[in-house]
Amino acid sequence: MIKKTMLALGIFTLLFPVAAFAEDPSAATLNMGLNSLWVMLSFILVLLMQGGFILLETGSTRMKNAGHVAGKTIFTTGLAALIYWAIGYGIAFGGDSSVNALFGWGDFLFNPAVAAGEGDSLPGTVFFLFQLAFAAVSLSIAWGGFAERAKLSSYIVFTLFFIAIIYPTVAHWIWGGGWLAEDGAQDFAGSTVVHLTGAIAAFAATVLLKPRIGKFNKDGSANEILGHNQVFTALSVLLLWVGWFGFNAGSTVAIGDGFFGYVAFNTMLGAGAGGVAALLISWAVTGKADITTMLNGTLAGLVAITASCAFVDPWAAVVIGLVAGVLVFYSVKFFEKIKVDDPIFALSVHGMAGIWGTLANGIFATTALADKVGIGQGGLIDTGSWKQLWVQFESVVVCGAFVLAASFLVLGIMKLVMGFRVTEEQEIIGLDLSEHGAYGYPEQMKKGQSI
Amino acid sequence: MDDPVRMQLLKQINSVDHIEGLRSLRDQVHEHMEALLPTRPVEQFNEQLNEVHDAVIQRAVVLAEAQMARLGKGSPPVPYAYLLFGSGGRKEQTLSSDQDSGIVYEDPVSDPAETQQYFTELSDCIVSILQTTGYPLCEGNVLSSNPDWCLSLTEWSGKLDRWFEEPAWESVRYLLIIADCRCVYGDSRLVDELKDFFFTDMLNHPIILKRMLDNTLRHKVLLGFFGQLLKEQYGEDTGSLDIKYGAYIPMVNSIRLLSVQNGIRETATLDRINRLVKIGQLTEAEGKVYARAFRLFLRLRLMTTEQRDGGLYANNGKLSSRKLTKELTGELKSSLRLGKKLQRAVFKQTMGRLK
Repeated sequence: MIKKTMLALGIFTLLFPVAAFAEDPSAATLNMGLNSLWVMLSFILVLLMQGGFILLETGSTRMKNAGHVAGKTIFTTGLAALIYWAIGYGIAFGGDSSVNALFGWGDFLFNPAVAAGEGDSLPGTVFFLFQLAFAAVSLSIAWGGFAERAKLSSYIVFTLFFIAIIYPTVAHWIWGGGWLAEDGAQDFAGSTVVHLTGAIAAFAATVLLKPRIGKFNKDGSANEILGHNQVFTALSVLLLWVGWFGFNAGSTVAIGDGFFGYVAFNTMLGAGAGGVAALLISWAVTGKADITTMLNGTLAGLVAITASCAFVDPWAAVVIGLVAGVLVFYSVKFFEKIKVDDPIFALSVHGMAGIWGTLANGIFATTALADKVGIGQGGLIDTGSWKQLWVQFESVVVCGAFVLAASFLVLGIMKLVMGFRVTEEQEIIGLDLSEHGAYGYPEQMKKGQSI
Repeated sequence: MDDPVRMQLLKQINSVDHIEGLRSLRDQVHEHMEALLPTRPVEQFNEQLNEVHDAVIQRAVVLAEAQMARLGKGSPPVPYAYLLFGSGGRKEQTLSSDQDSGIVYEDPVSDPAETQQYFTELSDCIVSILQTTGYPLCEGNVLSSNPDWCLSLTEWSGKLDRWFEEPAWESVRYLLIIADCRCVYGDSRLVDELKDFFFTDMLNHPIILKRMLDNTLRHKVLLGFFGQLLKEQYGEDTGSLDIKYGAYIPMVNSIRLLSVQNGIRETATLDRINRLVKIGQLTEAEGKVYARAFRLFLRLRLMTTEQRDGGLYANNGKLSSRKLTKELTGELKSSLRLGKKLQRAVFKQTMGRLK
């Protein structure tokens, strides 16, 4: 009976939509409402990616650091929220400053309107949350370079600088109306802004920290320090993959004509291609189909397609993903060869794939889609012009150089002033115990102290 | 062109009467043979090296028997044979191979427990002498001092029957170990009889071949999808090639499986290839190229990284890429391709037989 009533009501609303509401909302209000819902949902998805990072980082590292690695992600996400609210958002998206090309100024201690204003496509609150989630993702990528040997205090101090200045500056340049945006740099959801920025901070950190004890032998050969739980790592990739639909498709920040579906569609293709290519290349080259490489490849596909998902044809999304999968495999080898310890493969997955994804726009972007999004122009294949590729190249180099310099400066001073790395004893005993006083896996760790 | 130093050493080994002397002779042998390695054709070198190893092992048995007698345990109550398995069984020991051994003794007429007791103690003695001489123990405990590998002929026969009847992973592995067994000391008639049991059982349990095939092809050839060499990715041996398990063992296994299918009793891989050619299982041309590839694997295996550990001669079976010249790399690649081809051929033939 109830079912029937509901059904009848449903049909009634469909037939006479207007009649179902007491007051007629305008089309603009409806549109705003739908946009808000979509972006809010995307924020939730992107925030949930932190769960992915928790599992990714713990799964890829050793048991003795599990509690620390997992816990600090939650802590720094919370800290990032406060700092982004107080400072970061104002630098990235705050009102015009006299040097607007370089950074924004205003909206510090952001105090948004409680509802969307007239003509707004969505409330500022929702936009803030969505942007905050991106900043937090970039931060969690940077932690990859800190893993298993940085002091807890260094996490706190670096969060402050990264979320207040480093990340927002790059975000402003490309998304906040800064000088690269003026140039038409295409980075739809943040291959450069989020992933490359995080990865370069991770690079600076891992170089300053130096490799973990036992990673490299005297003769320069590398040892494999296996993560303690591959199931965590695989689950993390699934979580991130799902979250990425908020990340990429949500970056339309509007429902509009359903373009977000196309963005999601390309995202899916890129991810699949990345994982497939990585597994096959590792199988072909090393004789073993390596799971870690495959997982990295899937993420690399996602990272790479992030910049280009709104600008390219589906076939190009597949190509971008395939290249990313192969790239990540060789990149991991490269970093090992130059003796840079990259415990979570952040430099390869987010850095190299981020660079590739951003450059890929300059090759594969189509004029039609560039016009639709309204940023830049078509790439080399569609237009025969090198212009977009040059712009993409410029944005990668400039953002990369800025983040590299800023991160080295901040972390270098931290290293001098407060110390960056835990002592050898603390590292061997594990950060769970040294930084927090309790193991993440108490039963297991009591037995095998040597792990 | 037999070298006088080696003959002299052999002579000394055959007459040395204490363990320390045997140890020092083994060290001299090692040094001498190591120096000879680059100068000899590999087949000849291998033969001479294994001759000395055999001599050392035989002497160890003699010394152990004497020790037993000195301790008042008497002499062997029944005839027996000291068995070598693994590379020793195949006459393919490197400069530093470990012990894989067993004993088969004639069925005792009286007091089987006492007989068993004697051989257990004798084995303990032999194994420990060989350990002192620098031969590491077999990690899988395939040792004459392990009661499972020190049995009377009837017990062996029963054991073989059980293994054939229950082709679990482990028993298949043991059967393949038995296929390589060889008498190094004592009454070789006993080993012949043991092998008779083995091959009769083979005929009665054709299904075992399928399981042997799985075991045999377990180790993959070190050749990647692009025809590249698959090197160690991590650790101290980064860049090295696992010659033992990626080249030598796959070929040994393939040839062994072809041989046991055809009732061939030779244990050395090159001898087996010759027999396979003779009975028409391999063509002359195939035999020739496989033998050449195998000689290369033998040579490279002799060049693998030594690990001297607590007085024991050990070897990780891995060849440092530094030792691999461009020429050698090319040769190795084409030989590995042959190894792969052989594996495919063995698979096809064995599966064909099972149909």
